[in-house]
Amino acid sequence: MENILEASGLTKRFHGLVAVHDVSVQLRRGEILGLIGPNGAGKTTLVDMVNGTLEPNAGDLVFEGRSVRGLPAYRRAHLGIGRTFQIMKPFPGMSVLENASIGALFGTNGGERSIGRAREQARECLAFVGLGRRIAQRADALGGPDRKRLELARALAMRPRLLLLDEVMAGLNHVEIEEVIEDIKKVRDQGISILVIEHVMKAITSLSDRVFVLHHGEKIVEGSCGEVLRDPRVVEAYLGRRRR
Amino acid sequence: MKRAGAAQRLPEPPEGEPGARGAATRAARRTALALAVAALAALPWIGNTVLVQFGISVLLLATLAQGWNIIGGYTGYPSFGNSVFYGLGAYGVAIAMVQYELPFWVGMLLGLGLGVAFAGLLGLAVLRLKGHHFAICTLGLALVMTAIVSNLEIAGGNIGLVLPLLRSEVLFYELALGLAVLATLTVLWLSRSRFGLGLIAIRENEEGAAVMGVNTTFYKVIAFMLSAAFTALAGGIYAYHITYIDPVGVFDVVLNVKMIIMAVFGGPGSVLGPVVGALILSATAEVLAARLTGAASLFFGIVIVVAVVFMPRGIAHLVRHIGPAGWRYFIDNVRTHRL
Ligand SMILES: Nc1ncnc2c1ncn2[C@@H]1O[C@H](COP(=O)(O)OP(=O)(O)O)[C@@H](O)[C@H]1O
Ligand SMILES: [Mg+2]
Repeated sequence: MENILEASGLTKRFHGLVAVHDVSVQLRRGEILGLIGPNGAGKTTLVDMVNGTLEPNAGDLVFEGRSVRGLPAYRRAHLGIGRTFQIMKPFPGMSVLENASIGALFGTNGGERSIGRAREQARECLAFVGLGRRIAQRADALGGPDRKRLELARALAMRPRLLLLDEVMAGLNHVEIEEVIEDIKKVRDQGISILVIEHVMKAITSLSDRVFVLHHGEKIVEGSCGEVLRDPRVVEAYLGRRRR
Repeated sequence: MKRAGAAQRLPEPPEGEPGARGAATRAARRTALALAVAALAALPWIGNTVLVQFGISVLLLATLAQGWNIIGGYTGYPSFGNSVFYGLGAYGVAIAMVQYELPFWVGMLLGLGLGVAFAGLLGLAVLRLKGHHFAICTLGLALVMTAIVSNLEIAGGNIGLVLPLLRSEVLFYELALGLAVLATLTVLWLSRSRFGLGLIAIRENEEGAAVMGVNTTFYKVIAFMLSAAFTALAGGIYAYHITYIDPVGVFDVVLNVKMIIMAVFGGPGSVLGPVVGALILSATAEVLAARLTGAASLFFGIVIVVAVVFMPRGIAHLVRHIGPAGWRYFIDNVRTHRL
């Protein structure tokens, strides 16, 4: 099976507004696909439809050869779709370790049955993202960058086969961005397929095998990094917006 | 991130103390609790009737607070429908014993079945609502149930039912104790099981929990049914003990409010908090009623308001976090909650 994810004709309307219109995209197994586009382009909405947070109004979604359309989010998590949220959704009153343990306890294939093993798995993921010393803290006591790291660790603890990353680098400084880029590469080397949404161009260029661009809810181009970033339509989408 | 104050709590430290010392503390704690239960079980043989009566009432309330703790404290759904489960449990026993002359335990099973089944159906319907909407919806249902039962012939209409008299306070006491212990052990299990962690995740961020693989609907409905089970059984014991029930008396929303106050006062989402809350608040109410008769409920209200202002996360949190500079804890609470 070449493609881990095949979305075809996905459309999402919010009342009058068409947030995503007729978008088709494939993600190959083991690749990192970059998803870029100006704010409000529909990137988060697209990811929401992939992991089941939102249901599309039209279109189909095939994950590892089976249609997952209509499956609730938790079932898609069991199939191996993990994600992070741009607007993070930690469990504020739980410790950092327990936050990640939930991913290990309930993630892919329904997760670990034993709390001890789940904690071990969670601890590894937290150490991996650099939160090894914060495991006993409450999640709501973490600062901004650490919250982003926790969001990533929670998704990793699910042992996903497909990882959807929604702006995990927003608000990080240069050094931190470098670290996350290296982390994401290592995750891919474990054989996990990844979709990254990012505004940090450096991250997109150094990570992505391919890039696709959303603008006003529609896919405008798809291709290698170099091609896409030179495409006049992409330049216009970005510069046209920036000049305003 | 600010959340409704009621459901906030600190989870147990993730590890406990590692190694032999941790195990020793845990063993010591377990022994202390076992001794406390044994002492409580022996109470009818040492104490007088007034004390035993008070004990029955406290133990039933502790069970109710613990039942509410499962859905309200752990899962984060502030139920006002628990008084319905209580009423169904009470009517299960009353109908079985009065209308069909069946033994008490069959009535308990009937009440349990009614309460749990009702919680399952209700849960599927209303557990998709959040926060206030859920609270209001369950509250409305409690009122509807009163009206329905008042018109059921088998339940004695609005006159109610008179149960056979059993003069054995000791039996009622031990039953109530057994049920309270069972409820507390269940909550203890919740606090350290995969299932319980799933419930806490739902409380802390339901959408996040679902995305990480928690089957939120299933977990919530099971939690609601578990909550209903203990509540219905408490209602059944109450009915046989009090020997007379009517719809207004057992589908009483005020009782639901009491469960919430006791659980929140003790510490929602903790293991022993609701039990301690039930004991302290019942004792306070008892003393105030004896001393002040008329103004008792006024003072009781003041006690609760003061408690909520100074320790909004309940006694369980207070005990764990008060530290050496005691007054500091209270001042900090007042400050952080901007009261
Ligand atoms: N729940 C929602 N209700 C209404 N409109 C929404 C909702 N979510 C997103 N939108 C709108 O859909 C469009 C795409 O949003 P989004 O997917 O968040 O964009 P991006 O992630 O690319 O910045 C925006 O115009 C946004 O305002
Ligand atoms: Mg977005």
